[in-house]
Amino acid sequence: MIQQLPVIIVVFPLLLSFFIFMAGWWNKKLCFPLAVFALAGCVLSSVAILVNVINQGPIHYWLGGWPPPWGIEYLVDHLNALMLVLVSSLSLLVAISTKRNVEAELPEKIPSFWSLYVLLITGLLGITVTGDMFNLFVLLEVASLAAYALIAMGEKHATYASFRYIVIGTIGASWYLLGIGYLYIVTGSLNMINLSQILPDLYQSKAVMVGFAFILLGVCIKMALFPLHVWLPDAYTRAPSAVSAAIAPLMTKVMAYVLIRVLFTVFKPEYSIQNLHATDILSWIGTIAILFGGIMALSQSDFKKMLCYIMVAEIGYIVGGIGIANATALKGAIFHIINDAIMVACLFLVASMVMYKTKGHQISNFKGIFRKMPYSAAIFTVGALAVIGVPPTCGFFSKWYLLLGGIQANHWAFVIALLIATLINVALFFRIFDVGLYLHAFQHEPESDGMASSPQSHEAPLIMLIPAAMIAIAIIVIGIFNQTIVNNIIKFAVPMGL
Amino acid sequence: MEYLTMEYRPLLAILGPTVASLLIVLTGNRPNLRESWTLLGGLFLFATVISISPFVLKEGPIGLSLFKLLPGVDFAFKADAFGLIFATTSSSLWILVSLYSIGYMRSLKEHAQTRYYFSFAVALVGAIGIAFSANLVTMFVFYEILTISTYPLVAHEESPEAISAGHKYLAYLLTSGLFFLVGILVTYLAVGTTEFQPQGILKTALGSTSKLTLQIVFFCFLIGFAKAAWMPLHAWLPSAMVAPTPVSALLHAVAVVKAGVFGIIRIVCYIYGIDVMQSLGLGLALACVAAFTILVANLYAIGQNNLKRMLAYSTINQLSFIILGVALLSPMAVTGAMIHIPFHGFMKITLFLCAGAITAIAGKRDISDMKGIGRILPVTMLAFIIGAFGMAGAPPLAGFISKWHISLGAIQSGQMVFLLVILIGSLLDVIYFFPVIRTAFFGKIPENQVIKGDLEEKVDLYSEQPRSIEARRPLYLFMVVPLSITAIFSILLCLFPRMFYIYDLALAAVENIFGGM
Repeated sequence: MIQQLPVIIVVFPLLLSFFIFMAGWWNKKLCFPLAVFALAGCVLSSVAILVNVINQGPIHYWLGGWPPPWGIEYLVDHLNALMLVLVSSLSLLVAISTKRNVEAELPEKIPSFWSLYVLLITGLLGITVTGDMFNLFVLLEVASLAAYALIAMGEKHATYASFRYIVIGTIGASWYLLGIGYLYIVTGSLNMINLSQILPDLYQSKAVMVGFAFILLGVCIKMALFPLHVWLPDAYTRAPSAVSAAIAPLMTKVMAYVLIRVLFTVFKPEYSIQNLHATDILSWIGTIAILFGGIMALSQSDFKKMLCYIMVAEIGYIVGGIGIANATALKGAIFHIINDAIMVACLFLVASMVMYKTKGHQISNFKGIFRKMPYSAAIFTVGALAVIGVPPTCGFFSKWYLLLGGIQANHWAFVIALLIATLINVALFFRIFDVGLYLHAFQHEPESDGMASSPQSHEAPLIMLIPAAMIAIAIIVIGIFNQTIVNNIIKFAVPMGL
Repeated sequence: MEYLTMEYRPLLAILGPTVASLLIVLTGNRPNLRESWTLLGGLFLFATVISISPFVLKEGPIGLSLFKLLPGVDFAFKADAFGLIFATTSSSLWILVSLYSIGYMRSLKEHAQTRYYFSFAVALVGAIGIAFSANLVTMFVFYEILTISTYPLVAHEESPEAISAGHKYLAYLLTSGLFFLVGILVTYLAVGTTEFQPQGILKTALGSTSKLTLQIVFFCFLIGFAKAAWMPLHAWLPSAMVAPTPVSALLHAVAVVKAGVFGIIRIVCYIYGIDVMQSLGLGLALACVAAFTILVANLYAIGQNNLKRMLAYSTINQLSFIILGVALLSPMAVTGAMIHIPFHGFMKITLFLCAGAITAIAGKRDISDMKGIGRILPVTMLAFIIGAFGMAGAPPLAGFISKWHISLGAIQSGQMVFLLVILIGSLLDVIYFFPVIRTAFFGKIPENQVIKGDLEEKVDLYSEQPRSIEARRPLYLFMVVPLSITAIFSILLCLFPRMFYIYDLALAAVENIFGGM
């Protein structure tokens, strides 16, 4: 059974997404439980896979029994086992937490929403678990199309933002396809492990170089690496709360995972580092992305847009860490993929709670949040401190590894950019703390001494709070026990020879 | 004494204020219960800390490692002699300042008191955590907790001035925290550990890392401790005086700023070590920075009209006495620096509590308004005089003992120019306190004196009846009694410096630091 899990984790939600859509014709109330059922199944499968991989090593699954390179192989090693757990658990928690948002914002689209949501997660899980380059493209398109549709369901201008995303995203996916086309012409194989064995003899070939470049560019577009990030802010801001909370932490991080795969598994590290100096370029682009994201975030008055620019900066951390390409920095980058997904999920869930209660996601909607919605405010504080990088939240530890890796590689620009980004994040979040904490400075109502008389009446409902609180607790627990994760899983995910 | 549970006392000490802070938030709408958590937490903390001291003096430091944070770095506590000095200071003064806060906040009918008491308790968690940290990374965690938890206290008034003071506070302290982090990272890369050891851990790095790198890293650490308000990174402290006075008293005379000098002493003695400091010439550099701050801060203090700002500059000056003591790198000087932490704490708190009482009872903030206030608030002003003479280092005040030690240390290490700096600094201390005393006792109370809180009450200079208004309301006593206690302690500590084990702890710490030297 364990050996079948890599394919179950994709097929199960895939089938259920169609089932949800059909069940919606009969009774709309069935859609959410079915979606939760699908995602819960994925969570259980992913945990089982991770435990198995830690104990016994990578799992190979051949679709239809066809061996590679003729058949499609699903290969799970430490890196993607961890990503699977991340994607499935975050999507489940977000789904539960944003149920009320969906009912409030999209009441007539519930069946199509949940079925597209599960389809999106199917695509993301598939990208993570597959070992075949073309299969990755197929699942990438599945996820992207679901994403385009989900985003277009949002507020005013959402359709336009989604259309921009379609155009830019399709260009990205097409370049990816073009790249693997070049590789296929030269090698005749689409399987990642197979390619990694055939390609070294062909590293001098121009076709391989062009293929590599196209693949990288395609992935970078989908990953929203500066300057190819332009689709992200509008798309994720205008999307419905539930969609932002699900896509934002996951989509770009899964593409970062794909980047690591292409750079270090399909192509050997020495190709990426020495032959093409791709990693050097990436480390500098990452540095610029960090600063760009931070500066743009400072000028935003919309909370979700500010988070989007923070995400652009965080992608800069990850890509910069990948670009520095020593063991410490790569550990930091992989750990940061996990941490960033969790932190961003936490903050977008806070945004969805604020949206539910105050019908808006501007920074001014956070007025007095510490008094009116104290639990949401506490969750927000944890997420904010994690982004800033205050120990013992997880954000501090991935920054530690990234900084250490940068100093070891003498890449001082990256180190300084990270430190400046920390300060920018302080300014960004303390701006919101000010609006949230200091009721008096902005509203002159006579406050009695002590807490407001009925804090519970303004607070978000428990179904929204509990998953968000679980994510906030995870932020702290993962921070405190980071050594367990790094030593047992991430250490093995770093390629040999670095 | 149950030695079995002694091992966990450092952890208990930190849990005390943590639990108190949670209880404070939960009982926010029952003020008397809420305040009792603060006092109980304070008493518990103080009792725990005092109980550790005799054990540590006899048996050595108590180490407690909780879990592994990073390779080579544990989240660990170590209650050693020096840490206990800081912990004793903070915990004893927290109790007194909490009593004072009750009087102050309620007589001024302040808003957001739950947020205030909560942030105060969390700040104490930070301070005790810093005192008991076993390594740099653990200290960094509590350092940031201290900065972040004191932000709502600085911006408490929520006026535009208070909020901008809060922003300035964060800008200085969080940025400096980043420099601290860089220092930690380079230390970690150089020697693979960040533990505090009495003779320093960087001796082994002298061979592998260049001298210049180690010197630059020292300055990174120094900038990282901008909490010690050395010039030119001092500007956050006078601006932070916009906070309520108990905040200024405990945090910006005792907890936050002493955390800064505590950190500097930890870096000098427990990370670099006296040998390395001498061979890199860093002692002289640090002493110059300290000397500059002592003199310039005193000069700034002379012209100040706002009483709290003047006290802020006085604090900046006195902190640099501590830094100078460490920088002289001789046993007597370091002893003096270590005991100045509690001694100055008691004296400075007396001064701040007096300033706050003047504001809360009489409504005066500027020195020029305080004409004749010595007649209306005699106990308060008497305590103020005691504190002021302590600043100058006159016997029988505690400040005399610590300054005497530092001066002897300057002679012992042969750096006589710094002896001159100490003497000039002490002289200047007298100069700027003099106008306050003169105005308070020898000024004429204006004819139509309106006292805030007792509106339109005239105080008749020539009346036969008692004029002191300190006992007029029981709430005022909550303020006057603590400041009298700290003033009395300022004298007692001079006569009995071994009270609370302070002098013994300092001697023990210095003996370890200087090893066989």
